[in-house]
Amino acid sequence: MALLALLISGCGSWSWGRRSAGPVGWGSADRQDPALSGNGRVLASVVRRDGRDTVLLQEQPSGTVLPLRHLQRLQPHRSPSLSWNGRYLALLVQEGPQRRVVIEDRATGRLHRLPLPGSLVPDSLSLAPDGRRLAVATEGDGRSRVQLYDLTALLEPDLPAGLPVRGTPGEAR
Amino acid sequence: MTAVASSRMRTAAVAIVAALPPLLAACMGPLPQPLVGLNQRLEAAGPARAPSLAGDWMALIVSRGGRDRVELVDLQRQQPVPLPGLERPDAQPLSVAVDGRGERLALVRQLEGRTELVLYRRNLMALQPVPLQPPGVPRRVSLRADGRELAVEVSRQGQWQVDLIAVP
Repeated sequence: MALLALLISGCGSWSWGRRSAGPVGWGSADRQDPALSGNGRVLASVVRRDGRDTVLLQEQPSGTVLPLRHLQRLQPHRSPSLSWNGRYLALLVQEGPQRRVVIEDRATGRLHRLPLPGSLVPDSLSLAPDGRRLAVATEGDGRSRVQLYDLTALLEPDLPAGLPVRGTPGEAR
Repeated sequence: MTAVASSRMRTAAVAIVAALPPLLAACMGPLPQPLVGLNQRLEAAGPARAPSLAGDWMALIVSRGGRDRVELVDLQRQQPVPLPGLERPDAQPLSVAVDGRGERLALVRQLEGRTELVLYRRNLMALQPVPLQPPGVPRRVSLRADGRELAVEVSRQGQWQVDLIAVP
């Protein structure tokens, strides 16, 4: 076991396949906060557009930009996170003075808002690939914390093709 | 106003009132539910940040005793699992990501004055450095749920870029 671990840790860069995430466009070259869908076919990242940090959703490997309906006036965007097929995009947006957690359902066009207790400011998030849970890192009350939320009453699961969907929303815990 | 028009207005008003409850319910919608038991355990574990969810696993960075460390939580058992060979007391974790089997963790950490990207395989208890080509300074990392690819935010010559790296 130790020998195998040593062999693995000694592997060089030859074994790592690399590719670029593709051009950003929009006159900006900076690209931050990457997140891949569970199947790797969609990449979310944050780019600077018209001076505002804006989430960019692209098919991979073609780089084709995918449309988003609700996020145009809610910049800056931060911490995007995608479900398995990229149906759900969770991220932090700015609504007036408030930084909020939202989830855009690209299949239905709905925008779900996640209310947080008033004193907590979201800092980053992670959406489970199946869309059943959400983890939110917050700052507030003098400390940072991570809290988990059950989304099964809110979202249909976004599963790999061929997997059966068991139960109905609210039952699949 | 004619009797017919008045009747139509009454009908419309009744229809609007009847439609209000379902409309309001649709506006409110179901809300995400905090996972109270897990959240209490997380709260007790100490200040935490940078979560990464996949499958029944959550990786995150927890501060304890003045030191940041990576934790991997089994969400079914609501317990952290050991990560032998991952931690070094002199390393500062910056970003972590886990795959859907809780088998692979990608980690950006500062160690001995430099920032590096590493891949940890839990079944081997082994860390593997992930070289960046061309060289750059990694900051945030994301791992595909199937563990086959990394997306890494890298600073090169003052510019932030995203590298996609297939995991062998």
